[in-house]
Amino acid sequence: MGALGRVCEALERVGVIAGYEWRRGIAKKSVLALVILAVAIQTLVIVSNYEFNRSSGIVPSGNAFMWISTVLEGGAQALFIPLIAIIVAGGSMSEEYEHGTADILLSKPISRIEYMFGKFMGGYSLLALVEALITVVSVGLSIGFFGAQSDLQFAPLMFLAIAYSSLIFFCLSFMFSEVFRGTTLAILLAFAMYIASLVMTPILSFLYGNVSRVVPTWAATGFPSFLLSRLITASNTVLPSADTEALYEAALIIAVYTVVFVAIAALRLLKSDVTKKTD
Amino acid sequence: MQLVPVLASNSVLNISDVTKYYGKFKALDSVSFSVDKGWVYGYLGPNGAGKTTTIRIMLGLLEPNRGEVQIGGVNPIKDPVQAFRSVGYASELPTLQTFFTAEQLLDFMGKMFRLSTQARKEKTWQLLNLVGLKEWGKRKIGTYSKGMVQRLSLALALINDPMVLIMDEPTIGMDPEAAVNFRNLFINLSKEGKTIFISSHLLDEVQRICTHVGMINKGKILFSGPIDQVLDAFTQKWVVEVELEKVSEKIVSSLKTLDSVGDVKVDGNRLMIELKEKKDVRGEISSEIFKQQGVLLSLNLRKITLEDAYLQALKGGQ
Repeated sequence: MGALGRVCEALERVGVIAGYEWRRGIAKKSVLALVILAVAIQTLVIVSNYEFNRSSGIVPSGNAFMWISTVLEGGAQALFIPLIAIIVAGGSMSEEYEHGTADILLSKPISRIEYMFGKFMGGYSLLALVEALITVVSVGLSIGFFGAQSDLQFAPLMFLAIAYSSLIFFCLSFMFSEVFRGTTLAILLAFAMYIASLVMTPILSFLYGNVSRVVPTWAATGFPSFLLSRLITASNTVLPSADTEALYEAALIIAVYTVVFVAIAALRLLKSDVTKKTD
Repeated sequence: MQLVPVLASNSVLNISDVTKYYGKFKALDSVSFSVDKGWVYGYLGPNGAGKTTTIRIMLGLLEPNRGEVQIGGVNPIKDPVQAFRSVGYASELPTLQTFFTAEQLLDFMGKMFRLSTQARKEKTWQLLNLVGLKEWGKRKIGTYSKGMVQRLSLALALINDPMVLIMDEPTIGMDPEAAVNFRNLFINLSKEGKTIFISSHLLDEVQRICTHVGMINKGKILFSGPIDQVLDAFTQKWVVEVELEKVSEKIVSSLKTLDSVGDVKVDGNRLMIELKEKKDVRGEISSEIFKQQGVLLSLNLRKITLEDAYLQALKGGQ
C-alpha cells in the first residue's frame, strides 16, 4: 500500500473515532442542557433588546448590525461556548479511562495518535456545530426582530472566527483531561483557569498594558471582534476598533496555545501506560 | 520437572523476556512463552500474579520495561494497526459504552476493523444471535445485566473474525448454561484454527478446553506447555483423596511408608495421597489408617486435576 493509501486509512480511523466522540458528546445530558440553555439565553437577549427598544421608543442606529452584537456579545457565545467547550473536552479522554473503555478502543487497529485526533476532532466539530447553531439562531432572530441586517456575508467568517477562538479553552480542557485522566478535575481546572484569565486580563492590562495579551481570554474573546472590525467598515458598527497587529497577535496566541496544549496531551498519551482505574 | 518455554518459530503470540515494574514493584519478571496457531492456551495464576499485566502488555496498553511482545510477528506497541487487525479481545467484567445499543456498538467496532456496511450488518446480528442477545440488540447497553455485558463483550471480540482471541476471565459473571455454551464455542473456534488465549481462575474450565497451559505466580512463569505434560510434570496422574476426622503425624508417616504411595500432602483434615502408579490401593490405605486408629470419613481414587497441579505449583513455587 502506498503512502497515500496509508494516509487515507489513517484518516478513516480518525473519522470513525470522531463519529464515536459525537455520539458520546450528544449522549451527555450536561452538554445537551447547556446547548439548550445557550440557545434559550441567546433568544432571550434578542427578544429583550427588541422589547426594550419598542417600549422606550428608541430606534437605535445599529439595528442593521444587531446580528453582530448578538452573535459576539449576546450572552450565549460569550458565556456558554467556553463552558460547553470545557465540558465536552474535559471528559473526552478521561472518561474512557474512568469507565475502562479506553482498553477496548486502544486494543483495536488504531494508533494512539489517531485515537487522540479522532477524539479531538469529534469533540471540536461538535462544539463547532453548537457555535454554528447559536450563530444561525442569532442571525435569524436579528433579522426577524430588527429587520434586514447589514454585511451578513461575513456571518460564516464570524462563525469560523468564533470556532477558532474557542480552541484555546477546548484544548486546555482536553489537555487536562488526558494529563490528569479525571473528568471532574479536568473540568474544574479548566474552568478555574477560564475565570482566573477573565479576572486577570483587565488587571494586567491596567498594570502592564499589552502584557495582558498573553492571558488566554484576551485572544479568545478578542479575535472574532478584531477580525470583524477589520472587515466591516460601517461607521456605526458596535464593534471595537482593532489594528492589524492585535488581530494577528490574537490569531498567533490562539495557535500557540492550541499547539502547546495538544502537544502536551499527545506526549502524555504516547509516553504513559493505559492504566485501569483499579490499578 | 519444569517445562522450559519454547519460542516456536510459527508462534502467533510471542512473549519474550518481558519485565514490567509498577514503580518499584516488579509485576512481571522475565516472562517468556509462546502460543502457536490453533492452540487454546490457558493462563493461570492467583490474584496479583501478573496475568492481567501480561494481557495488557500484549494489547499494547502497557509498555514493558524490558522484553518484547509480538502478535503475528508484529510488536503491538510499535504497530498497533497491523498487530490488532486479526485480534479480538474480551476483558474481564467489561464496562462498555452504555450510550450505545448492542447493535450500534458492534457496528462501530466493525467500522474500526474497516468492515463494509453489509458485512457489519450481517455480522452484528449473527453475533448477537450467537451470544443470545438478539432480542436485546436494539436496547441501550446501560440496561444490560453483568452477564449480558460479558456476552456482548465476547461478541465484540469476534466482530472481525479474529485469528487470535485474547480473553481475560471470559465466562466470569455468566450463568452456567451460557458458560457451557461459550466453552463449546471456544472449542469450535479452535477447531477452525483460531488461536485462543484465556486467562482464567476456573481451573476446571481451563482443563476442559485448553490444549496448553501457562502458569504465573509473583510475576514469574512457573511452567508453560501442553496441558497433559503439565499434569505429568507435577505428580503422578492418580491420587487418593482422604478425609479424616483428625489427621495425625502418625497416620501421615505410616502412609508414606507404603510402597504404592509417592507423597502425602496435608490440607486440614484432608490428605492427598499421590500414587506412584495407577493402582486401586484404597483398601491398603484404609487399612493403614485404621491400624493407626484414624477415623475415615471419605476416600476417593481419582485422576489428578489441573487444580491439584496448580495448588502444588503455587505451594512449591516451581
